[in-house]
Amino acid sequence: MKIVIAGAGEVGTHLAKMLSGEKQDIVLMDTDEDRLHQLEDNFDLMTVNASSLSIAGLKEADVPSADLFIGVTPDESRNMTSCLLAHSLGARKTVARIDNAEYLQPKHQDFFSRIGVNSLIYPEMLAAREIVDAIKMSWIRQWWEVDGGELVLIAVKLRRTAHILDIPLHQLDTRSTPYLVVAIKRGMHTIIPRGDDCLQELDLVYFMTMKKYIPYIRQIAGKDEYKDVRNVMIMGGSRIAVRTAKLAPEYMKVKIIEKDLERCHRLTELINDDRVMIINGDGRDMDLLMEEGIENTEAFIALTGSSETNILACLAAKRTGVSKTVAEVENMAYISMAEGMDIGTIINKKMIAASHIYQMMLDADVTNVKCLTVANADVAEFIVKEGSKITKHAVKDCGLPKGINIGGVIRHGVGALVTGNTQLQAGDHVVVFCTGMTMQKIEKFFI
Amino acid sequence: MINYRIVAKILGILLFLEAILLLGCSLFPLCLGESDLVAFLVSGGLTLVVGLVLFLLGRGADKKVNRKDGYIIVTFSWVLFATFGMLPFLVGRYTDSVANAFLETMSGFTTTGATIFDDIESLPHGILFWRSLTQWFGGLGIVFFTIAVLPIFGSGGMKLFAAETTGPTHSKLHPRLDVTGKWIWTIYLIITITHAALLVLGDMPLFDSVCTAMSTAATGGLSVKQSSIEAYHSPYIEYITTLFMLISGLNFTLLYVAILKRKPVRLLKDTEFRWYVGSYSAFTLFVTVALLVATPMGLEQSFRLAAFQVASLQTTTGFVTTDYMMWPSCTWLVLCIAMIVGACAGSTSGAIKSIRLAMLCKIVRNQFRHMLHPNAVLPLRINGVVIPGEIKATLLAFFFTYMGILLLGWLYMLSVGVGFMEGFGITVSSLGNVGPGLGSVGPAYSWNSLPDAAKWGCSVLMLIGRLELFSVLLLFSPSFWRKH
Repeated sequence: MKIVIAGAGEVGTHLAKMLSGEKQDIVLMDTDEDRLHQLEDNFDLMTVNASSLSIAGLKEADVPSADLFIGVTPDESRNMTSCLLAHSLGARKTVARIDNAEYLQPKHQDFFSRIGVNSLIYPEMLAAREIVDAIKMSWIRQWWEVDGGELVLIAVKLRRTAHILDIPLHQLDTRSTPYLVVAIKRGMHTIIPRGDDCLQELDLVYFMTMKKYIPYIRQIAGKDEYKDVRNVMIMGGSRIAVRTAKLAPEYMKVKIIEKDLERCHRLTELINDDRVMIINGDGRDMDLLMEEGIENTEAFIALTGSSETNILACLAAKRTGVSKTVAEVENMAYISMAEGMDIGTIINKKMIAASHIYQMMLDADVTNVKCLTVANADVAEFIVKEGSKITKHAVKDCGLPKGINIGGVIRHGVGALVTGNTQLQAGDHVVVFCTGMTMQKIEKFFI
Repeated sequence: MINYRIVAKILGILLFLEAILLLGCSLFPLCLGESDLVAFLVSGGLTLVVGLVLFLLGRGADKKVNRKDGYIIVTFSWVLFATFGMLPFLVGRYTDSVANAFLETMSGFTTTGATIFDDIESLPHGILFWRSLTQWFGGLGIVFFTIAVLPIFGSGGMKLFAAETTGPTHSKLHPRLDVTGKWIWTIYLIITITHAALLVLGDMPLFDSVCTAMSTAATGGLSVKQSSIEAYHSPYIEYITTLFMLISGLNFTLLYVAILKRKPVRLLKDTEFRWYVGSYSAFTLFVTVALLVATPMGLEQSFRLAAFQVASLQTTTGFVTTDYMMWPSCTWLVLCIAMIVGACAGSTSGAIKSIRLAMLCKIVRNQFRHMLHPNAVLPLRINGVVIPGEIKATLLAFFFTYMGILLLGWLYMLSVGVGFMEGFGITVSSLGNVGPGLGSVGPAYSWNSLPDAAKWGCSVLMLIGRLELFSVLLLFSPSFWRKH
């Protein structure tokens, strides 16, 4: 598959690295020669030093024969224009990064594909969605819905209060338990567990389950004392903060703390909602936070431009008793460190955006791939094809390689968990959890 | 530098317009053979001559209308219209006092609706029609009418429009001001014709229907009967008129969007609309309950009288169906508050307007929130749009000035010998362009009994209120007339 990525910024670079690891033909376009040079030396991809608005440049990057053109420069209109050009030159599919919620409305989707932009991606919106999902159930670290919520994947950090520690999984996972442990993040490693593994204190455990059993998991994980989030404090009035405030459910009150007075006034124009209060001040000033009632706040979200500030502010907020903290960490190297420092949820715009685009270039049958930020693992949803390998035998006899786990299946719109004895059928949606392997390797079992 | 020539020229043209209206009214005596033919011909002729002189003075004027010229043109056009509009009353000897005639005309053009006539039924049809016509013209504004029909202002039109139109902000519904003007006048005409037709269906004579409809659409209040709408003894007419008074109190731009663009949601979601409907309902409920408790009237009658009277005073129309001075005294204050609050900006009504009330309440609420959260940035939002600081400052200045003028006006009335309650009533009524006052100048009486000084004072208050204070008061500031 031939993919042209225009814009070697953070999203573009991350995406290029990810896709080149997948053995795809990647061409990266940018006008900054130094940056391109560095990437070409270290990764298996081709670079073109040209503007994505130049027709000659697009031809040089061989856009006319590209299967996918991805416009991810920081400038929305440049991305849109370059997608239109790429489409007219013959690119099969185009994706543009935007900064505008209006374009995302479903009623505009047809319009954009007609003019030649097949998909739009709005990283700030995706990040905000993830934040809101995270604070809606504050005891859950990560939350992912499969097929409109038939199955859910949740990540929970186990403390001493959990009831399921140190018991081998085959004793826990009996046929009557309404959940499946699909992955464990222990320290720096991600484990796809097998029957004889045990859950330990401080493990981040990924449960596959159904919505109605979430309270049960909350109980066995010892999270009963967690309060629901009603008051949210956001530090830094970034674009993600705006989207988060807009997406937050009705019952939440949001305070956004922003240093720059000009930006505060702009925020009051952007966020037309009486639940949201804009406060002019420095989020690092503990006196200010106290005055604004951080002690009665259940969630603290740090979204300034500096990863370090975000991490430290979350730690400070934890000390005052905030139960849920979310930090935006754009510096990749800090992510695992931040995880080790016990910050609730970590948001990385680039990775969210990249995984979103990643799903589009996998075969169309995959409807959802989530690149888990903290676990080095992928989750993919497949539709089982007629006559594929997996339908021949029960799951445990199919010879699935190590490090792959089928979490759940949705058959005729009804979700169920998958055990070794489950027999999959054509048309089933399956959720696959895997680590350390390429998607193509998994695909061949299902397609 | 003030461009006196263009001011004279434009005022001259506006006087031509008034002359046409005056001469048009002479059709009534021509057809009906009544006594006011000479009055209209003489007045019309005189207006025409003065208009011609002003027009000739302004020959070859520089076309440019700057901001200062705009304020002068707007204020003086109203003064001139009232001055020449009173001629038929004087020439026809329907009143002998200049103060009376001027008050009556100013009351018409500013859509106040206070009258000095004690025997309206004896007046000829031409004079009655002229009274209604002054209101209908003054309703949306004399200059605004001219903008819609005559291209005499050029690009200066917007400045004049802003000086004459009511409300803290001005919205256009078409990129071109004259097209905006035409649509607004179309809406106005539709309201008037619909109302007149519905009144005719209610067995009101055609002439009365047209005059009443013109008076209602303009939220004026001059009636062709001494006892106003009460004279018809028809609940149907009262309900229909209540409804049309309320409609005339709406923002015409929103009416245009709701009716002609078929987007009624925009109107229903509008902040000012909600405050208007909310405050009207609250006032009506209060008065209805007060009437039920304190008088032997039944529910329907209490509601009908309350709904009519609150609508009439809040939209600053000033029609009456009953003498509310006979009601419990607590209702008087509620009616006065309704007179001060007023209806919506961009309508034909006067007073402070609901939008300003909404903004003031939100400012007060923000003040309390600010005390709890000293670092919070608290925006003032109307319809989801943040109101900038300058408009907030203008709003507070407006409210302070309005209240200040109210008190000063009251003081003036007391010093020229008007009673305490009557003085308050006529000041609120004049400044808000309402009509009836309290006590001996209440709904059952005309303003004829006031001393001349009070009548002149009322005329000035009406003009100040109609042009929303600053356009008139600015002319009294010395720096306005300085050359640099």
